[in-house]
Amino acid sequence: MTFLERTTDARRFRQWEGNVEADYIYTSGVAGERFFVALRDDGKMLASRCTACGLDYLPPRLFCEDCFLELTEFVDVPPEGRVAAVTMAHLDRRGTPMSRPQVWAFLTFEGIRGGLVHRLLVPPAKARVGLAVRAKLKARGDRVGAITDIEGFEPVRS
Amino acid sequence: MTERITKWPGVELSAADLNEGKVTQTRFRPNAKYAWSAGEAMSRFLAELQNGRLIARTCRSCKRILFPPRMFCEVCFRPTDEWTYIQDTGTIETFSISYLDTDAKRIPDPILVGVVSLDGASPKMGMMHYFGDMTKDEIRIGMRVKAVWKPWEERRGSVLDIRHFGPLRKDAK
Repeated sequence: MTFLERTTDARRFRQWEGNVEADYIYTSGVAGERFFVALRDDGKMLASRCTACGLDYLPPRLFCEDCFLELTEFVDVPPEGRVAAVTMAHLDRRGTPMSRPQVWAFLTFEGIRGGLVHRLLVPPAKARVGLAVRAKLKARGDRVGAITDIEGFEPVRS
Repeated sequence: MTERITKWPGVELSAADLNEGKVTQTRFRPNAKYAWSAGEAMSRFLAELQNGRLIARTCRSCKRILFPPRMFCEVCFRPTDEWTYIQDTGTIETFSISYLDTDAKRIPDPILVGVVSLDGASPKMGMMHYFGDMTKDEIRIGMRVKAVWKPWEERRGSVLDIRHFGPLRKDAK
């Protein structure tokens, strides 16, 4: 018997099945906590401010990337943002095809360094860079302090 | 903590803080399923255990009888040739008196584990297993042993179908 004559059907063999229980809990961190609590309780987005560089960070960081200053000041992110990049998702998180494609976008806000990746609540044909959008939040009682408290971003004028 | 440091920098969180939802968090269980295949030689080996037999592979080139069986001879670099049964008796090569169980928990009565080289296979070829029906004071390197099999209905095609290796007595069959 040579190697090429070997079976390649592993199901013929005895096998052990298992599940790696690699559960995890990922906390938001100090700056992330401020962001999610403000999102949940006040329905607004916060950026952290570097007073030395005059930079506002979204998502908020605890330290300035440019000067390493610890950031303790938080400012409101303008309610209106813009689509900086857009893509269509045809598969869900498990790789299963979806009946209707989802529109995802990278959203930036005037005067803020960084941005958010989130759903864009427009038909694929209407999705384009430069679109002015605002966050559509879940109702106060349904918000849990997660990025999914934002349902998505919808056009300011539809 | 040390003499100089009584509190580390940062935010300390307890399990209760997390479970009570004191801080925002993301919980996730990855879908990390796996199937580990025993392969051709080991699958046959395990199936034969369920029959109460030990099986090996022969290599015509180096004339060895390989146990546990493998489909490739690591000395000759060629596929092995035939299946052959070996005996369930052998000799203790090495052993350990363990005061830790399989979960590394401390136990008052030690378990005896070690390597037994089996009769019918090439010298020094055998398996690791438990030793039983003997005390920690009686066990010796070179001791003759025989497999104590579980009853047929309890066998699962696992190496634990052999309960342990016990002393080989002259009067036994």
